[in-house]
Amino acid sequence: MKVTEKAEAAVQEKTVDWDKYLAAYYEKPKSSLTWSGLEVKEVYTPADLPPEKYRDMGDPGQYPYTRGIHRNMFRGRYWTRREVIGMGSPKDTHDRSKLLVDEGGSGLNTIADIPYEMGLDADHPWAQNEVGLTGVCITNMYDMETLTADIPLDKVSWSLITASTASVVTMAQYAAVAKKRGYDLKKLRGTVQNDPVHFRYCGFRPACPLDLSVKLGADVMEYCTKEMPLWYYTTVNLYDLREQGVTAPQEVAFGFLIARLYIDELIRRGYKVDDFAQRFAFYVSCHIDIFEEVSKIRAARRIWAKLMKEHYGAQKASSQQFRFAVHTAGCSLVPQQPLNNIVRIAYQALAAVLGGVQSLHCTSYDEPVCLPTENGHTQALRTQQILAYETGVTNVADPLGGSYYIENLTNQLEEEIYKVMAEVEKVGGMYEAIRTEWLDRVFENEALARQKEIDERDKILVGVNMFVTEQETETPLGVQRISKESVRQQIEMVKKLKKERNSTVWKEKILALKAAAERRENVIPYMIEATEVGATTGEMMGAVRLAFGYPYDPIEIIEAPF
Amino acid sequence: MNKIKENKDRKIKVLVSKVGLDGHDRGAKVICSLLKEAGMEVIYLGMYQMPKDVIDAAIDEDVDVIGPSFLSGEHLVYTPIIVEEMKKAGLDDVLLVVGGVIPVEDISTLKKMGVDEVFTAGSLTAPIIQYIKENIRR
Repeated sequence: MKVTEKAEAAVQEKTVDWDKYLAAYYEKPKSSLTWSGLEVKEVYTPADLPPEKYRDMGDPGQYPYTRGIHRNMFRGRYWTRREVIGMGSPKDTHDRSKLLVDEGGSGLNTIADIPYEMGLDADHPWAQNEVGLTGVCITNMYDMETLTADIPLDKVSWSLITASTASVVTMAQYAAVAKKRGYDLKKLRGTVQNDPVHFRYCGFRPACPLDLSVKLGADVMEYCTKEMPLWYYTTVNLYDLREQGVTAPQEVAFGFLIARLYIDELIRRGYKVDDFAQRFAFYVSCHIDIFEEVSKIRAARRIWAKLMKEHYGAQKASSQQFRFAVHTAGCSLVPQQPLNNIVRIAYQALAAVLGGVQSLHCTSYDEPVCLPTENGHTQALRTQQILAYETGVTNVADPLGGSYYIENLTNQLEEEIYKVMAEVEKVGGMYEAIRTEWLDRVFENEALARQKEIDERDKILVGVNMFVTEQETETPLGVQRISKESVRQQIEMVKKLKKERNSTVWKEKILALKAAAERRENVIPYMIEATEVGATTGEMMGAVRLAFGYPYDPIEIIEAPF
Repeated sequence: MNKIKENKDRKIKVLVSKVGLDGHDRGAKVICSLLKEAGMEVIYLGMYQMPKDVIDAAIDEDVDVIGPSFLSGEHLVYTPIIVEEMKKAGLDDVLLVVGGVIPVEDISTLKKMGVDEVFTAGSLTAPIIQYIKENIRR
């Protein structure tokens, strides 16, 4: 073939629509709204940020902490690189946790599966097909011992993601194991998610009655304040609220109002806000609009500081500081062209770090497909490490502070958050908004609106409504499957434990727990004692539920064994 | 002849349900609203339903489409049971369309089990509506 012929042959191989190319060349964005629909100007100038306004911002480390809670921020310490792990049996989860520590993870982070969050034992008839599918099931003290085996509890900071009313059980199981292994509870560091109120919106409603959610959430906070003072006893979960489809201002407003339910309960129990608030923490989403997310975090810090100081009279700086972990937004990820998710997650992680995050979980690229594979998990950790060690973002605190745009957007977010809070006040406050299902309707409407934005291309999602390709036939780094055998063994062990334990002592401790719950005492000390004699998650939750007039089993198919 | 005409005038009736213990139902509720807006009659059975509950409701309500929604990986456990129950109940003319967080690797597995179509997370609404309209068997 001659050279000229070769060129002609290449020309014919692929046809390109040049009109489409020309349109792309001249194309400009269809929308200039933020992800949450806020209008922003074409450009911001000094006129948008008069110097006297700076007083309301403060330097990093100064009230109202708009610019961060530490003056030296990441120069003092990197954020905690903490990947969420929960899969199969306690042993499977333990092994994956150690793998990620070995790869450079700097915090442990264990997530409960659906039965555990519901407060069901692994051998519950409805749980058996679910054990280990979305997290790990801890039914008894021995499961917790396996999960934590040979990990030095006094050296690590362990985040336990049990968000539901079963957080009390998780704390009791962790404390029981730590005591057995000779650790001083007062020196242990970690976090328990413990935000049962919000969890009704994640598909766990029967397990999270509203009164019990506030009571048991506050029990964990009270117990840790007294016995485990270094433990962050809640990370009020704004993230899960955002995942319902709400906007950035709604995320913060609803989350803060839920947080206030717990604070008000602790105050009702006779505590002063400075007695406990220094270990209050939050779990925040970072979605794809970088500047809006950074501004949301900055606005949240300012609002929280003012709320704690002005409304609750907090004097200590640590009671006024908004501390938070970030989970990059799972709902922003799609299974189409799944490797693109790595890029989305990196932008979201960048927003978290520019916002001054304390602890970060980067979602793995296969989040909308399955639980993370080993490779997916490690890759997510690498995204954090590239950000931390290569990009230079750790050099300066609040690097976007003083930007005409960011400061204005922060103010705008702050106003919007207050507006949403005022709407909730109008319906009678948060407890009423939840009880009357006003909040359910908000979530349903917002979720529908988000889908329509994608359907109608008001928002672009690459691979979904633009730049679409044929559906993939395989997931690039494979699919995580749960070992049926290890789950089966776990279920067998639970059944065996129930037969082998000393039933007299067990019954005595379970009934003591139920009686304490009936007297409205803090249930955790009783749960620790019950755990030590072989009581299980379902039995302890059931005892408390009965004491509050709810069926023993949230699914209402099994009877109390006592 | 009359029966066919009557069927054509009737709204398409869809039963959507969560199956098993997983209660993540944002997607299920959204698709219910969107199918209603597209002119279909939609029954949302809710959370914590077992295959038998779904089939009983499908018979009672005389639906054209059954749409179970999964997130946690239970699709491989419950789908074959649903298919089996549908066969037993003689629901050969009912379309089975599964939705949710499902690995692409499992789509052909589910179809081999007897599922008509699978729509994963990240699906647009129009293709779902089009699929149902073009494929209902009654």
